[in-house]
Amino acid sequence: MSRLRYVIRHEFRLTAANKAFVILTILGPFLIFAVSVLPSLLAQSPGAVASGKPLALSGAPPPVEQALTATFSGMGIGVERVDDAAAAKDSVLDGSRIAFLSLEAGWPDSGKAVWYSKSGAEIALYSAASAVLEAAAREARIVESGVDPALVAKVLSPPSFEVIKLDKGGAEEARGSDSFVEVLMTVLVFVMLIYMTVLLYGQMIGRSVVTEKTSKTVEIMLSSVKSQDLMFGKILGLGLAGLLQYAVWVSMAFLLKRFVGPLLGLSLPAGISTGNLVWLVVFFILGFFLYSSAYAALGAASEDEQHLGQMAWPLIMFLIVPLVMISTLVTSPDSTLVVILSLFPLTSPIVMLARVLVSSPPVWQLALCLALLVAAVAGTAVLAAKIFRVGILMTGKRPKLKEVLRWVTVK
Amino acid sequence: MQAVAGLSFEARPGEIFGLIGPNGAGKSTTIRMIMNIIAPDSGTIRFDGSPLSEADKDRIGYLPEERGLYRKAKLGEVLEYLAAIKGAKPALYRPSIDAWLGRFGLSEWKHRKVQELSKGMAQKAQFIAAVAHNPSVVFFDEPFSGLDPLAQDELLAVMVELKQKGATVLFSTHIMEHAEKICERILLMDKGKEVVYGSMADIKARYGRNAVQLEFDGDASFVAGLDFVESVVSYPRWIEVEMKDDADPDALFRALAGRLRVRRFETVAPSLHKIFVRLVGGEEAQNVQA
Repeated sequence: MSRLRYVIRHEFRLTAANKAFVILTILGPFLIFAVSVLPSLLAQSPGAVASGKPLALSGAPPPVEQALTATFSGMGIGVERVDDAAAAKDSVLDGSRIAFLSLEAGWPDSGKAVWYSKSGAEIALYSAASAVLEAAAREARIVESGVDPALVAKVLSPPSFEVIKLDKGGAEEARGSDSFVEVLMTVLVFVMLIYMTVLLYGQMIGRSVVTEKTSKTVEIMLSSVKSQDLMFGKILGLGLAGLLQYAVWVSMAFLLKRFVGPLLGLSLPAGISTGNLVWLVVFFILGFFLYSSAYAALGAASEDEQHLGQMAWPLIMFLIVPLVMISTLVTSPDSTLVVILSLFPLTSPIVMLARVLVSSPPVWQLALCLALLVAAVAGTAVLAAKIFRVGILMTGKRPKLKEVLRWVTVK
Repeated sequence: MQAVAGLSFEARPGEIFGLIGPNGAGKSTTIRMIMNIIAPDSGTIRFDGSPLSEADKDRIGYLPEERGLYRKAKLGEVLEYLAAIKGAKPALYRPSIDAWLGRFGLSEWKHRKVQELSKGMAQKAQFIAAVAHNPSVVFFDEPFSGLDPLAQDELLAVMVELKQKGATVLFSTHIMEHAEKICERILLMDKGKEVVYGSMADIKARYGRNAVQLEFDGDASFVAGLDFVESVVSYPRWIEVEMKDDADPDALFRALAGRLRVRRFETVAPSLHKIFVRLVGGEEAQNVQA
């Protein structure tokens, strides 16, 4: 055990001191923030895009101007009436105004409304403006045609429709299309995280084992430690580095949720809850051990990194399949195929995690999934240790599958 | 296929023991079994009288034939790591590593990456990795391969020094001359089997018929045909002649008169190489350097 500690420490240091690791650990939360929070941030307060700059407006009749001013002041954006179109465009170009909305003479019937901006990408802003203009134009036309506006409103009002997510224990949760997008986003982020980290760490272990062979350090290592200490030292060392990374990420998520979120007046997607974060870490750990052991065995059986890459393909397929199926996972989380994939150990870390996020899988399925995963991890570790013990000393030729299978049976 | 079979030998505390044989004789396989890197199908390895345990490995330093250190890591860090997994304490191995680096002129490389080292430097670094934790037993598998003659002499001196400090030194080589210079006892092996085993002095005495080393100008091919000559090892400018048991070297000297221009005529104990050639046969001996 004491020797294992040194191997773990060495491998941990080697990984954690790596520049790529530090960058990914620090940038990870920002990437997650960008993918998960930014869209809702922008949707909730489009004014953030304007950062206090006013909107220039020309040619709007007084009621329309009032409606626009009311809408935009709600976003913290002032509306300034301008007369000189050229000057207004210049002010947009030099950045002192966020955009310039010009209503040509004869609007809404014979004239156009034009939104001038530097990028044309402030979708939240101009769709708000467009909505206000549409409503104003509709109302003006209704009044013109002599129909009672109250009658029109009644005719056009949509019937009510609700989506409710049923949870065990009787909790009912209203779901709209917004919350579906939120769930999809959360699933996407979590699934990508698991996929990337499991694959990344697996490959690091595989490479680390191959390096042991190609650098020919293995013999001197084996003169000091047992082969299984070397293998598990590598896996645990890198696993610790992975856990450290997850700890940083999860605490960043908590910080965002608890402090930064309320500060900016926005909420994180509901999917990023404590329970779900725990599931994320649990499935990362299990997935990590499963794929790392498999990669350690593959590394020991390969001749060089290129060979490892070829041999790892079938394994990677099992990680990619759930990614390809992500929309199915979210839309029909309880279909037979998805249930099977959420129990099969090589796909379950990703698929079951997605199911947990989207629906409430039966407890027995969760328990079975975890039991199968733990059993698979143990089985793979034992097999890998056997393949590792023989394979790590084999150099100079690519072993055939039959040969590898024989290593497993060596006492 | 058997690489090694029916081998039995012991190295005594504080001696320099040589495991000698041509390429492919099974030397490395034997050392790997001793180091418990591969398991023998049958037989036991004993250390201080009891079966070799994992804990015993800490007292052993090992220089494998296949050289290599983590290329991307810094030299000092690799050496400290390898000493640490031998169970040594930092207070012991840090000064020891510095001393060895200084001794081999590698101090300024301590904080450089291993891949920047030249081949000879890497070889020395590997040697340091074997001895930095002050082991009481060291195994060097072909320690001289890849070293220039100066470095070979330096290493020979270090090995003698280790012995003087009380360490047991085992090393394998196919270069007889090195073994002859420093070994007290040897195991000569070929094709995985023992050829001869014992102290250098005993072996020389046992197989030590009188031999003559001869330097000359001319064609010495007739010497092998003389009836009191047992065998001859020929080199371009000198030969080593092994006389039959009762023959007098003087007879050889007389036979040479007038047929060769003799520059040096010296009766010697036979070289290890000569003994090996006699025991194993000429063809096998081709692999072995004198």
